[in-house]
Amino acid sequence: MSEEITMKKIDTFAEHGDGNQPHETHLSIRDFSLFYGDFEAVRKVNMDIPKKMVTAMIGPSGCGKSTLLRSINRMNDLIPSTSAAGEINFEGHNIYARNIDVVTLRARVGMVFQKPNVFPKSIFDNVAYGPRLQGMRNKQELSEIVEQSLRQAAIWDEVKDRLQANALGMSGGQQQRLCIARALAIKPEILLMDEPTSALDPKATALIEDLIGELRQNYTIVIVTHNMQQAARVSDLTAFMYEGVLVEFGKTKQLFTNPANPQTENYITGRFG
Amino acid sequence: MSKKANTSLIMSDAASRQQRISSLLGQAILFLITSLSTITVFFIFYFILKDAIPFFKSEGFKEFFTTTRWYPSGSPAEFGALPIFVGTGLVTLGAIVVAVPLGIAASVCLSDLLPFNVRQIVKPVIEILAAIPSVAYGFFALVVFAPLLQNHGGAILSTGVWIVLGPIFALLTMVLGDLLLDKLRNTMSPKVATSIVFPILGTLSFLFLYRLSANLSGVEISSGTNALNVSIILGIMALPTVVSVAEDALQAAGRELREGSYALGATRAETIIKTIIPASVSGILAAVILGVMRAIGETMVVWMASGNAARIPEPWYNMLQPVRTLTATIAGDMGEADHVTGSSRFHVLFAMAFCLLAFSFIMNLISEIIVKRSRKKLGK
Amino acid sequence: MRLETRKLLDKAFSGLGLISIAVMAIALLLILTPIVWRGSKAFIFKGTIEHRRVMLELFDRGNPEKFNQESADAAAARAPVYQMMEAFEAEMKAMDRKKRKEYKAPFREVENALEELLGPMPGQRTPVLLRQRYGQTRWDRALVKLHETLYSEEWDYSNADAMGVLVEKPRVDFFTGTELEPLFQYLEDYLPEMMQPKTTFYYQFITDKSKDSHIFGGIWPEVLGTIYLTIGAMIFAIPMGVIAAIYLCEYAKEGRIISFIRICISTLAGVPSIVFGLFGLAFFLNTIQVSDSKSVLAGSLTLSLLILPTIIRSSEEAILAVPRAYKEASLGLGASRWHTVLTVILPAAMPGILTGIVISMGRAAGETAPIIFTAAVSVGAPLKIWETLSQPTPALPWNIYNLCTEHEAVDEIRHVQYGMVFTLVAIVLLLNLAAILMRARISKKLRG
Repeated sequence: MSEEITMKKIDTFAEHGDGNQPHETHLSIRDFSLFYGDFEAVRKVNMDIPKKMVTAMIGPSGCGKSTLLRSINRMNDLIPSTSAAGEINFEGHNIYARNIDVVTLRARVGMVFQKPNVFPKSIFDNVAYGPRLQGMRNKQELSEIVEQSLRQAAIWDEVKDRLQANALGMSGGQQQRLCIARALAIKPEILLMDEPTSALDPKATALIEDLIGELRQNYTIVIVTHNMQQAARVSDLTAFMYEGVLVEFGKTKQLFTNPANPQTENYITGRFG
Repeated sequence: MSKKANTSLIMSDAASRQQRISSLLGQAILFLITSLSTITVFFIFYFILKDAIPFFKSEGFKEFFTTTRWYPSGSPAEFGALPIFVGTGLVTLGAIVVAVPLGIAASVCLSDLLPFNVRQIVKPVIEILAAIPSVAYGFFALVVFAPLLQNHGGAILSTGVWIVLGPIFALLTMVLGDLLLDKLRNTMSPKVATSIVFPILGTLSFLFLYRLSANLSGVEISSGTNALNVSIILGIMALPTVVSVAEDALQAAGRELREGSYALGATRAETIIKTIIPASVSGILAAVILGVMRAIGETMVVWMASGNAARIPEPWYNMLQPVRTLTATIAGDMGEADHVTGSSRFHVLFAMAFCLLAFSFIMNLISEIIVKRSRKKLGK
Repeated sequence: MRLETRKLLDKAFSGLGLISIAVMAIALLLILTPIVWRGSKAFIFKGTIEHRRVMLELFDRGNPEKFNQESADAAAARAPVYQMMEAFEAEMKAMDRKKRKEYKAPFREVENALEELLGPMPGQRTPVLLRQRYGQTRWDRALVKLHETLYSEEWDYSNADAMGVLVEKPRVDFFTGTELEPLFQYLEDYLPEMMQPKTTFYYQFITDKSKDSHIFGGIWPEVLGTIYLTIGAMIFAIPMGVIAAIYLCEYAKEGRIISFIRICISTLAGVPSIVFGLFGLAFFLNTIQVSDSKSVLAGSLTLSLLILPTIIRSSEEAILAVPRAYKEASLGLGASRWHTVLTVILPAAMPGILTGIVISMGRAAGETAPIIFTAAVSVGAPLKIWETLSQPTPALPWNIYNLCTEHEAVDEIRHVQYGMVFTLVAIVLLLNLAAILMRARISKKLRG
């Protein structure tokens, strides 16, 4: 039965992706490499990520897909001895240029992590953390934005009665949706998701996937996933990476049904990885 | 979209410069505060050395380190600190004899023998031992333990012998007996051999212990404030340090090593003695060094309960005589020397403090190096 | 080796381990038991009428009417004693000179012992020293003094080879046949009536000032001094230590300088406490002169340097234990580093940091050597808060040392010494208990 649903979804999204209207490029990655010390984890990647679509990155573990994702909001800066080469252009600016305000960049490129990482604070404070950072102090505005974000993350009905409860008391799936709400509360333009369902059970995973389907109308989403079926279910475009190299990048339906590169075919048919 | 969507990614040059400067400035302040410890260390060395040098200049090194007459207030004053160094060494040695075997056995117990919930009970015991202020230990040594030693010295010593040497001799008997049985296997039946070897060995070791304790029970201790008293108390005080550092080292040896040994059919004791302890020997060494530092730097206990006699015991290892240590001399003589700041009597105390400081600094460095090396070896 | 022997050895080995743990626990018990048991007797004891007199006259505490009633009873019981003594004095006057001389000294001894036991005789001028104005305030001390009244101590040197032996002789033997003879029996029989012992809960022991160098009263100056010194040390050490830990964990890039700083921190942790004391004297007092004489300020500064490494280490541990995910989440939302530290990392690390702080508070409260030359005096009044900048103070650890080694009446005030040790150990252990409980809660939280 799940197979049926899957197929249906691919169809709907694929239809959407097949639409002929050209999509505006939101992020363009040019010859981008990232090094851990001497090790080149991402190798000269070129890729245009379109606006308001879901782009999935797949590949065996260690292929550099997460590293590439984390490069988009410069999360790798936190790891000592990393260095970057090439460009990632966002609104025509290379985000690795010297005069880039990393803090603003991160506020405009939201991120959801592999494991739900809620703060040990109340649900409300978790969501309000970002807006407060931007100086929003008005209680009324804050609660509006919190409600809106929680609704967007499809979790409002579950938590509206216990906004002041500690977020650590929620289930894993709820926590992850709270993290999404928290990321949405800062009104990002791009949402990065780093294997957002890998720590969740199938039911919670399905909820998050539905949510991604909703969010694609307003946000550009880049999602790294280990699960090819998930990529097929939720994304418009898929990128396949292997050993730091972008092997193939194209429309999801096409990549899964008729891959151009034999490596891609081997991976999606389960011969390695 | 909210107003912030308009915030540009690009900072103006001025803003960028300002941000960079303020972040640099902030980090500089943090760095300064962090290096307070470094500054303190330098200041301590400088100020102790500054007041120690005048002493060495006017009195030289030879008298201080090699002669035995300590009369700082006599005329002429004599500064032979050798008895004080010997006293410090004797007391520290005694403390180590108490703390190291006990501490290592206890840390093995904590890391490998006790189940989790028992460990949760034992750990606070160690923490409390570490937390009790040194003056309370000193008070105990002076007011409770010293009179006991003085009045019932012989009885305490002979009981101590039974408690400490009893289990060790029992172990020895077992090992020796087993080795003998191996040798005798060809000449007689195992049953007969067992019934001969063990009784003989057991009686022998019992007789030895009995004679020893009988001799000791006749000992009269003329003063309860002596090196033995202080050594035992210092040993107890150093225990928590030894236990916690050694336990960390044993834990760090890792599960894989233990499982490897068990899988070859080793018993728990064999695993620990032949595999785990050799693997974590450097950590255990660091534990011993830290224990030595704790004992040598302790002031109140030795000041209150060591007897403060600045002479070398006769023979030098006689733990039942009063001794004097560096720390106690500094604490005790400073009060009188204070009024004549500038005299050799004042500066000699700084010279002693410098010796303590240099010793603990070197010990500390050694333990750091040992720990670092062992970490490298374990690949962590 | 045979398998059985190996197994036996294994058991014996476990046994040795367990013995070592047991020895440790027993040592702890042996040390704490006398301190707790005898220390609690400074608070709960059988107090005599003299104790209540002291309380009423020196501390203005108690019910005067009830006291007068009791006092009258005691005086009535004591009256025969004084009558007997007067009668004996009259008898002495009637004796011939030689005999009178013979009795004079022993009688004087009895008189002195009685004054120590019961206080000054009626009609006598008020003595100068406070301790001579009152009899024994505690029933256990009264019994000791009674014994001294009943028996005289003499040294027996009859065996010329051995040391002299102390012999106790009943004084009554000497006075047989005189008016004084019944006195001794009377004292033995009627001591309770004369002293009116009552179980007393003297919890004000902690908050009372001491009178006549701890012969009467409590230990407030010492307790207050310890509180001042501890809080002062924390005021300096907490911000410095926590900020250093933040820098080391969140900002510093590992390199030569940082590893040098780390070595310095561990060196500082290994410096003997007495050396800190000398350094405090040489630097804070003799060089930069934070105050003219020893002062709480100088002592606090010295103590703060002593506990700095502990605070840095425990804070570092607590900060490192904060999941990386929190930090990433906050930075991912566009928070600056400093903001992340303040709003996410510090709150999450706070219980751990507090644990370290509480433990080092215990350390600061109990340290003696660093304050000997920088802050502590043997006798002093409780300080006002602004006086801490310039005045030295008594403090529990120093005064414990002082009372049990240098006080003129060491044996008379054992209960005060034990009471002080008990108070200090209680303070330190309560702080540590708080830390242990906090840690248990943290680990529970982390385990979910």
